[in-house]
Amino acid sequence: MSTEPVPQGVAPLIEIRGLSKRFGRTQVLHDVSLTVTKGQTVAVIGPSGSGKTTMLRCINLLEEFEEGEIVFDGKPIGYHSGPGGRRRRLPEREVAATRSDIGIVFQSFNLFPHMTVLRNIVAAPVRVKGIDRITAERVARELLDRVGLADKASEYPMRLSGGQQQRVAIARALAMQPKLMLFDEVTSALDPELVGEVLAVIKQLAEDGMSMVLVTHEMQFARDVAHTVVFMAEGRIVEHGPPRTLFANPQSDRLRAFLRRYREAYLL
Amino acid sequence: MLPQALIHNFAYLLRGAEFTLLLSAGSIALSTAIGVGVALLHVFAVAPIRILVELYLFLARGIPLLILLFAMYYMLPYVGIDLQPTIGGILVIGVYYGAFMSQVFRAAILSLPKNQWDAARGLGMRRSLMLEIVIFPQAFRIAAAPFVNTCMQLIKSTSLVSIIGLWELTMAGRETVERTLAPFQIFAGVALIYFCLCYSLAAYGRQLEKRMRYVH
Amino acid sequence: MPLDVNFILRNLPLFWKGLVVTVELSLLAIGLALVWGLVVAFARMSPRWPLRTAAAAYIELVRDTPVLVQMYFIYFGFSMAGLGLTGFVSGLLALSLQNGGYIAEIYRAGIESVSVKQVEGGKALGMSYWDVMSLVVLPQALVRVIPPLANQFIVVIKDTSLVSAIAVAELTQIGKLLTERTAASYEVFLTIAVIYLIMTGIVSGLSRLAEHRFAIYY
Repeated sequence: MSTEPVPQGVAPLIEIRGLSKRFGRTQVLHDVSLTVTKGQTVAVIGPSGSGKTTMLRCINLLEEFEEGEIVFDGKPIGYHSGPGGRRRRLPEREVAATRSDIGIVFQSFNLFPHMTVLRNIVAAPVRVKGIDRITAERVARELLDRVGLADKASEYPMRLSGGQQQRVAIARALAMQPKLMLFDEVTSALDPELVGEVLAVIKQLAEDGMSMVLVTHEMQFARDVAHTVVFMAEGRIVEHGPPRTLFANPQSDRLRAFLRRYREAYLL
Repeated sequence: MLPQALIHNFAYLLRGAEFTLLLSAGSIALSTAIGVGVALLHVFAVAPIRILVELYLFLARGIPLLILLFAMYYMLPYVGIDLQPTIGGILVIGVYYGAFMSQVFRAAILSLPKNQWDAARGLGMRRSLMLEIVIFPQAFRIAAAPFVNTCMQLIKSTSLVSIIGLWELTMAGRETVERTLAPFQIFAGVALIYFCLCYSLAAYGRQLEKRMRYVH
Repeated sequence: MPLDVNFILRNLPLFWKGLVVTVELSLLAIGLALVWGLVVAFARMSPRWPLRTAAAAYIELVRDTPVLVQMYFIYFGFSMAGLGLTGFVSGLLALSLQNGGYIAEIYRAGIESVSVKQVEGGKALGMSYWDVMSLVVLPQALVRVIPPLANQFIVVIKDTSLVSAIAVAELTQIGKLLTERTAASYEVFLTIAVIYLIMTGIVSGLSRLAEHRFAIYY
């Protein structure tokens, strides 16, 4: 049964096919398939433990997966099926190269505390992509400006608020000029009043045409910004579709229950 | 009543202290180098190598340093190795303390939150780069205080080489006592010199520890 | 390298004699240090300033000087003063005094690691300071100090080797004498190393067992 949301006639940027993953004896992902096209924003929603974060981390190969394949920009990533169907993990060099084309922003920001904001942003472009420092710093300052933190370049992360750190984290990921951006519940660890500034940055990114997969609890945001919403539960994709129809007309009981609880919690 | 014997011989004791520092410096350098290497092996290497590392740690934790010094002193001539005693002392102490240093560094590396590794890998960094600019700088800061404390223990341990006849502060003390027959004074003086060295390190270590608490 | 096993077997009685002395010295030293350390710990935590400072100074002094120098100080010092202490007693004194200092800090860390909230909780229930101490704090602190105390015991066992320098016929001294007499240094040191490893291994093992057994109290 196909569960891929594929907008017709457009070449996919990334295709996930039949992804399955176990943690020890627990199966956390069951035969997950997903396609993202260039410029598309996909929001992934679902209850905790549904495997959303795990799937995201599989996309940029931070997690290993036992079955399935991911084809990014036309090439399979992470694994390579040898003759006779044997599967081997690709060498570190190639995995790292893949990761430099996919940006990720984490729930806990994960900035490097011993580096200034500016250095956090330029470290990877300079050392991984070999961009010269002057250009990298110029780009970094432009990115900081885009996220509204132009004056914080020489601060240390410790001195910034959560929202500011997260925006720096976004700038840091963008500095690598990724083809795809992954956001893992990036506002869940923030105080409510700081959430808005981060969402604004992401919304702008989406409008500027960045392809992205967004794991989030912010339903309003998903509805406003995403082209496609994917609902996951118990390691499977249960439903997917454009936000308006998905939220207005949930087809599965599971999604209905999930949305009902959400509405009760937020009195929508 | 002034401690005459001590005052007259203090300069001699200080010369011994110089030698203690020399021995210590050499051993600290060696043990730090070994410690970093072993710590990396302990964290990253494949299982068989990790088992060897655990064996090394087990031996260093369970065998007294003096036994190792004796072993070097008595056994090496038989194996045909003609080693200058000072070098031998530095080697033995360095290898012995390499085990303890490795535990300090390993603990520091492992204490970094996993999300630092995630962020570095997410940016496409390879392991060597990650270690160079993300992990090591932070680990060094964390390891600083226990490193200083281990150095202090090492300096105290150098006193053991006097038992195999190497000349340093403790040996200088013994010689002086034989000459002056004033053991309380002289050994008190020796203890005082060690105390000055070690107390400053201990105090520095405590300062480093306090500074660490404000970082993360 | 061929091992002369017969040599080892022939000299087992000698090794045994040294081992007995080592074990005696270790047990006595750690026993005295455990008691003395408790005294010093309470002095260190006393509300009375002179007592606290004296204890802190004492701890600093024994921790920042080598135990060998302490042994020489006691052994040669008292023999010169006419009060000839044996090597065994001098070594015992030095080991107890030094490790007492370290153990005092271990106790203090253990007691202070039991959350202040628990003390407050106890007091809120109407318990006196000593009730809280004996019923709430000390039992938990005791469990937490087992690993570092076991470690200190291992340190003591290893440090007993130093008394070979003040003419005590413990294990290391036996080894030294045997080597000088027979030049079978390889067999001698291998045997002695193994014996020490067994001793320290037993202590480590017991410590892990105890940790395991009391793990629920963490």
